Amino acid sequence: MRFFYLAFGIGFGFLLSRGGATNFDFYVQLFLFQDLQLLWMISAAVAVGLIGVMLLKHSGAHSLVGRQPIDFQGRPYRSGLILGAFLFGIGWGLAGACPGSVLAMLGEGKLAVLPTLAGLVLGTWLYGLSPIVRKFSN
Amino acid sequence: MTPVWSGWLAGSLLGLLTIALYWFANKQLGISTVYGYACQVLPGAGSFRSEEFRRNNRWRLWFGLGIPVGALLASSGDGVSFTTGMGLYEQALPEHPVVRGLVLLCAGTLMGLGARLAGGCTSGHVISGVPLMNRPSVLAGALFFVGGTVAVQVLFRVSQV
Repeated sequence: MRFFYLAFGIGFGFLLSRGGATNFDFYVQLFLFQDLQLLWMISAAVAVGLIGVMLLKHSGAHSLVGRQPIDFQGRPYRSGLILGAFLFGIGWGLAGACPGSVLAMLGEGKLAVLPTLAGLVLGTWLYGLSPIVRKFSN
Repeated sequence: MTPVWSGWLAGSLLGLLTIALYWFANKQLGISTVYGYACQVLPGAGSFRSEEFRRNNRWRLWFGLGIPVGALLASSGDGVSFTTGMGLYEQALPEHPVVRGLVLLCAGTLMGLGARLAGGCTSGHVISGVPLMNRPSVLAGALFFVGGTVAVQVLFRVSQV
């Protein structure tokens, strides 16, 4: 199973790279509304995802591994979502990378993402550390 | 230079990958939780050491390990090259490498903390959450874009002054 998830990761990293998500300039141009390459990429992924989820739901397909009914339950609302999502966006724009593309950029040898990567661990750790933060988000 | 496909093509294939992961393994594609693994070596991160966390997220570790390999394959046409450049960001971020590093460390921290507060990142909330027509994911996705726009507009305007 682990090689199977590894293969999915390899596909994901490959497509992020081909889609331009490992190019810092596309983040600047996206948020200055100059070149919407990344917006088209995300929109296309969502559009195909919508159709795929509909087909899976209507066919009643079970997962190929484990033969479970597929869980279409979305991530729940939580009180920290609005603040957290906004803060995430600020970090996304400043760093020119997201938690997935940062790993892809590292694979391409873009060393400028190293402090961003350290920050991602630090921010995740701060969340796990603070009972106040956890209480706030539950 | 790594070749770039049209956003529509790369995005459609990303959508197919997301659906394939649902179908094969009943898993919602999302990466940000993987950073909890790195927290296991830090003090006071009890919740990331729990058996429950490990059981639910072990797959993300393998998924996360694959990402740099895939990106390397995509760009290996001209061999691996290490670069420290940041393209257009060079004009706007501080020039001093230590100061720039601190800004990026803060940016990463905002993303790490923000993703946990929001319950997902660009992949978990947007790429796999929005297709479920899950309202919290749509809201989070919209706010990701609002935050990014504010940050880049301010950063590039201030740097022009």
